[in-house]
Amino acid sequence: MRLLWLSALACNGNAHSLLNYPGFQEWQEDFHWLYHPLLPSRYTFPEIEKGIEGVEVLIVDGTLEEGLIKNRLPYRELLLRYGDQAERIVTVGTCATFGGIFAQGGGGRSGLHFEGDEHLKGYERFWEKTVSLPGCPVQPEVLAGTLSIIRRRDPLPLDTLHRPKYFYAYTIHDGCTRNEYFEYKIDEHHFGTLEGCMFYDHGCQGTFTHGSCNKILWNGVNSKTRAGTPCLGCTEPDFPREGLWRTPKHMGIPARMPLGVPRRAYLGLAGIAKAFRIERFTRPLMEDEGG
Amino acid sequence: MAEVRLELIEKIEGEAQVRYHYEKDHIDFAEILFLTGRGIERILEGRDPWDALAINPRVCGICGHAHLIATVRALEDCYDDLQVSAKAKQIRELTLAFEVLQNHFKWFYLTILPLLELKAPMERVLEPSRLLGEMIALLAGQYPHNSYAIPGGISGEITPVELLGVRERHQRIRKHFQESVIHVDLEQFVRCDRIETMLEREGDLPRAMQRILDWGWERLGRSHDRFIVFGSNDLFEAGKSIGTRLRRHLDLRYLQESPIQGSRARRVLYRGRSYETGPLARAMLLKTPLTREAHRRYGDSLFSRILARVCEIPRLLRYTESLIGSIDLSEPAWVDPGPLPVEAEGVGIVEAARGSLIHQVRVGEGKIQKYRIVTPTQWNLGNGSREDPGVAQAALIGLRRGDPAELVFKSFDVCSVCTTK
Amino acid sequence: MSSTTERVDRKAKKREKIVRTALKLFAKQGFYTTTIPEIAGKIGMSVGNLYNYFSSKEILAQEIIREISAYLGSRIREVNDSDLHVREKIRRIVSIYFETARNEPEMIDFFLRVYLSNREVFHEGCEGMICVNEFVTEIMIFFDDGVANGELKNQDFFSAFGLFMGYLGGMVFLNGERILPRRLESYIDDISENIYNALKVP
Repeated sequence: MRLLWLSALACNGNAHSLLNYPGFQEWQEDFHWLYHPLLPSRYTFPEIEKGIEGVEVLIVDGTLEEGLIKNRLPYRELLLRYGDQAERIVTVGTCATFGGIFAQGGGGRSGLHFEGDEHLKGYERFWEKTVSLPGCPVQPEVLAGTLSIIRRRDPLPLDTLHRPKYFYAYTIHDGCTRNEYFEYKIDEHHFGTLEGCMFYDHGCQGTFTHGSCNKILWNGVNSKTRAGTPCLGCTEPDFPREGLWRTPKHMGIPARMPLGVPRRAYLGLAGIAKAFRIERFTRPLMEDEGG
Repeated sequence: MAEVRLELIEKIEGEAQVRYHYEKDHIDFAEILFLTGRGIERILEGRDPWDALAINPRVCGICGHAHLIATVRALEDCYDDLQVSAKAKQIRELTLAFEVLQNHFKWFYLTILPLLELKAPMERVLEPSRLLGEMIALLAGQYPHNSYAIPGGISGEITPVELLGVRERHQRIRKHFQESVIHVDLEQFVRCDRIETMLEREGDLPRAMQRILDWGWERLGRSHDRFIVFGSNDLFEAGKSIGTRLRRHLDLRYLQESPIQGSRARRVLYRGRSYETGPLARAMLLKTPLTREAHRRYGDSLFSRILARVCEIPRLLRYTESLIGSIDLSEPAWVDPGPLPVEAEGVGIVEAARGSLIHQVRVGEGKIQKYRIVTPTQWNLGNGSREDPGVAQAALIGLRRGDPAELVFKSFDVCSVCTTK
Repeated sequence: MSSTTERVDRKAKKREKIVRTALKLFAKQGFYTTTIPEIAGKIGMSVGNLYNYFSSKEILAQEIIREISAYLGSRIREVNDSDLHVREKIRRIVSIYFETARNEPEMIDFFLRVYLSNREVFHEGCEGMICVNEFVTEIMIFFDDGVANGELKNQDFFSAFGLFMGYLGGMVFLNGERILPRRLESYIDDISENIYNALKVP
């Protein structure tokens, strides 16, 4: 399958992330880069500007900016030309999907179809064929996997923001090694420890952020939350919100509830869970038990 | 006979344009242009200072971790008295060094070899890149773009299990280096001071350096022969050198940034002069044997520059190995530093893959009032004038038609995204 | 079939009667001076039979506090579900509390004199705030909404909770001791205003 990767305002993190895909060599046998910002490609960028044929999937990376010119042509012109040519469009990363961090650095910046959660109409004719792969950066398994599913023409169920369900139906909370501290409402957390949950004080957005960070694991070995860093909510339209390391609270009650959980249900369960001071969760995991 | 040609430079982090001014058969002047910028410093203003830990790695997809470490150092510098355990410092040094290593492999295999028309199996770059990413992730959660270094230490805790994973991969990379880059014992290579001895060995490094010699390019790409290094640790020493004359003391007050017309980058000078930063500069400050020998023969040319960068790999491998061995896991990973002062200033300096990276923050009323990032590529790629050209400009000027201008340019490793921020 | 339904019904009624009677006695005499035989006697049932419903005096007391919490919780929930301004919501909650103190004085008495005074009775089975969960949850939701709407100051939960509930409890206590010169209801406006002023965004 022939791929064309077009970067707008990007950090190249998505392109580098893909190189970490463990099956990259085998995976790549099924794909041809017409253009990729790092990897050997069939065409040069000036040739892409001149015009090529045969694009099957257009990969859009980076925040779009009104009037952006990469070399000679307006980026929008390239997007329209190859967007029409491609069977599918994949917005890779949060910048290309929702605008992301760089959208905050100037006016006229957005993702391909969204500015935050506002659905834009500038490329509406592409909406039906667009797949959104937010993440800052995207996990390599998500990008490689989605492209393979598209290539095989297998069904690819999407959510309302067009994120593939196979990767985004989960929350970052799923699979976190700190889950029990959340379930039993142990709200004490200190950095530099294996124990505790960052939901209560330290801004963790894992319970309401879609993605597979703790299911697939990063680089196959770990995740931010396992390493004691809060989930920053980087796959969601409102990334990055202000005060990423603090949990917004209303009189001590977290302002945002776990995904789909009514506040009354959460508070009711929290009240019950909190009532039991469960000994195990108050002790260091690595404590010598004298056995 | 004067001719102006605009070329797009691709397969770098982002894109750059070079406008070559030819006079007869040689480059008379060159302007390096960066067309897009993202405004990271502006995005940071008004935000909670800790947000910088999440946002700054996103300056760059290839050296973002250096930006994280520079950020945490700048924030920690805002405190009067802050404790960070030796363990936390060592682990940060490790992940930082792993990224530098990864960048060196990527640049050598993805950028340099193709320009020398040398082929190497893709796995030679993918394997070390992937392994080093895993090593960072084991300690920091993920790569690219983690935020595990926080004021007071690191966000999580490390057990012998993670260190074991790091050790095993470290061995694998060491082996990879000896099998692919140069077939020689690491210790022996670090001590080597003869170009011929290096060239006699098998491996991609001797192949590349031999190709440069065969094609008669070894003296191309010479610049001002002025070097600067701001960061120091157990591996690198700060200072500046003009030719081989060293000066250890540097003062950030002499740092000047100025806008460049027609480009989104800003030039940076020290006491009014441009300096080269990066592996060649570090090697010149340390007087490492092989690079010094190359410099003695060929000056600050692309030969010396490429050799210096690859020669950092074994030194980094030895450095990280000793770091891993010296970590005392019983120390705290994080010591609560208390709230960040509401009015403060801080500086964070890091030796990143491409050279010295400097972050400066001013906090007011508990928010970021001003944030300034000076990247290595600003030193190396910032434009000057015909009378006072920047480092890469000077390296390009004088090249003849048919000379490898792109290789000269990319011997600095062009990170456009870092240059414009 | 119908006889089973009737039996279940009858049992539920009996259970309800036990709770009501025990509530009155506990509220009036305190937990320790009230005995199971006394409660049984008041209803006209055997002590043995009462134990079929509640296996101990502690468990009976815990059931009572749960029911009080559920009752108050459901009343406050109606306020929370309304679109009223926070000022009016506070007035409604104060009214509910005082109205309950007047119409069902034993409920508030039990809460103040038994639940809060004899914590050891509730240690096992009513850990933390489990048995008053429904009531506390609604107060939390009231606060949360108020802060989210920008009407209430964002502060520590217990500072706000203590101010609100401690105030109401204190007034009911003074009323019970017949110290208040006026009817409890006549204080609703002033008290609501004070609470609002103390909790609102400055």
